[in-house]
Amino acid sequence: MRAKWLRMTWLAGLAVGCGKGEAIFNVNVYSFLPAAQDTVPYFIPPNTPSADTGSVAQRIDLPGVGSSVVDSIRIFGTLDLYNQSGTGTIGLQLFMAADSLGTYTASNAVLTVTPKTVSGSPPVPVADTVQGQLLSSANPLFTRRQVWVRVAAEGSNSSLTTPVIGRMVLTTLRLSAFINDKFF
Amino acid sequence: MRTSVIGIGLVALTVGVAAQAAGQGLIFDARRIGMGGLSLGRSASLVRYNAAYGAVPEAADRRGRPRVTIPIPLGLIQFLHDHPHLSTDPAFHPDSAGFNPILAVNTLLNLPIYLEVKKAPTPTNDVVFGIGKDSLRVNLGAAAQLVPEDQFGFGGSSRLLNPGFGIKGVRVSVLGWLHYDLGVQLNDKLLAFLRDSVEAQPRTGYGVFGNGIAEGGFAPTVSYAGRVAGDSSTGLYLGGALHYYLGAAYARSSISAGFTTGDSIFTGPNPVTPHDSGLTSYSKPGNALGHGVGGDVGIAWISGPIELGVGVNDIGATLTWSDTRQDSVFYRDSTFSKPFRNHVSTTTKLPVSYVANVTYTVGKTTLGADVLNAGRGATVHVGGEQRIGLIALRGGIARDQRKRIEFGWGGGVRLGALGLDVGFWTHTNSLSNERGVTMATSFSIY
Repeated sequence: MRAKWLRMTWLAGLAVGCGKGEAIFNVNVYSFLPAAQDTVPYFIPPNTPSADTGSVAQRIDLPGVGSSVVDSIRIFGTLDLYNQSGTGTIGLQLFMAADSLGTYTASNAVLTVTPKTVSGSPPVPVADTVQGQLLSSANPLFTRRQVWVRVAAEGSNSSLTTPVIGRMVLTTLRLSAFINDKFF
Repeated sequence: MRTSVIGIGLVALTVGVAAQAAGQGLIFDARRIGMGGLSLGRSASLVRYNAAYGAVPEAADRRGRPRVTIPIPLGLIQFLHDHPHLSTDPAFHPDSAGFNPILAVNTLLNLPIYLEVKKAPTPTNDVVFGIGKDSLRVNLGAAAQLVPEDQFGFGGSSRLLNPGFGIKGVRVSVLGWLHYDLGVQLNDKLLAFLRDSVEAQPRTGYGVFGNGIAEGGFAPTVSYAGRVAGDSSTGLYLGGALHYYLGAAYARSSISAGFTTGDSIFTGPNPVTPHDSGLTSYSKPGNALGHGVGGDVGIAWISGPIELGVGVNDIGATLTWSDTRQDSVFYRDSTFSKPFRNHVSTTTKLPVSYVANVTYTVGKTTLGADVLNAGRGATVHVGGEQRIGLIALRGGIARDQRKRIEFGWGGGVRLGALGLDVGFWTHTNSLSNERGVTMATSFSIY
């Protein structure tokens, strides 16, 4: 019955907004994150060219659009980097998969933000903006009724002695999936 | 939640536009279509709804009503050409990946009898779904205007056959009658969600309230229609009928159905709970007949070029059904019904229908107007015909049951006993707020 109603949803959207218009799903990913999960602590040991420390995977419920085609998925978010020590680079990395385990697979990284340089312990956090288009490998995932996402802090540390320690705090994170149905 | 309310919305939307289609009615005569649906002469709604018109002689009809009108279904030919394998056409099968709901609904609402020369454009705006952990909002854009705010539906009463015999204006007959009505209304929460893009709320009921009735039977009738003053060129005609209604069967249902959201929109063990409750009353064929008395009255006045008429039908027609069964309908995992009361007496009431018409003929010009209410809102037609030699030019305007204005225009050529007519009529009974244009063609034999 659930599947039937899901299909009805999609047909309803098409019926009232059909033609060349698109269905746009604006998903507030941030709202799905439990209270503590908007913070990703990072620790990059000395002399590490690339490291990934991330949060646990989080499930997101979607309407499920069956055989429809997802054209593209855009992302917009903001975050603050609270660096405590060390000098290096930190950037957000987003993993997306059909199950929670898949979000720990490197090839399922659908977005890697250009890292920001952090240094020392500044009085105000380093703000960063996340925006862009997810890799096309994420598109078919959005046709499902559930998708798992994991946010990670990806960075590097060229120092031979001091680790880079801090935390990345998400303040907003939204996905917009643009869907054109192949019926028409 | 997000699935359910929109699903209900689709149903509501479809029935809503279907109501528009029913409101405009099916017309197979290109002459009428060319005049915006106006009836002239002893045809269609005048004789049906005005008891006096049974006595108005054909000679008083100056419009030259054809004996037979044969529609030319160019639209059907086009449709069968476009869909040669209808039974296997994936566009009409919901289980197929090629199912096209827009085509299916539009085909249902605009039966492809006549050629669609201008299709009503379907909305092309984006539909935006806003999804959060505990929130859902849908923005249908301009298409939200298609979601009906008021109660919508369709219905009316019909008289099927009326065999009998008459002497000097008095007629004894038995007419078959049928009454049906379906009304649906979205509750305020669902309306706000679909039309005003209000965010879905927890612990809130989203649904529709629907009520419907269908009943039919026969009615022994004594009627009179005759001229009470004047002569055939200028006269006053009166008509009346007394019916003793015998109801063969009826069913009536009032149901509230929808979904109630849980403590939160997406989380929790029970995000949505379907609800369905109502009462169904019916008397099957073979049960005791329903009984009731009602009447019709009509008046027509012919004075040279002017013709006026008013008819009112089914006055006081309330039927009592002595052997009715009532079932309560409810939802518990799935929809159930169980007997509530049996062998009880209930009543139904036929809607009072009326028609008023005026026609003015001068030379080769005929102008006319009529107002018809068959139980679910009035329809108004105003139109005219100008004959120029063998050619006739026509135009008209109509207001349907939902108060939408439609336009008709067309023409025809008559060669002796044969005529060919073409009529164009706008319609808004598609999934669109804009008008489409239908072209009707028909042969007439005079």
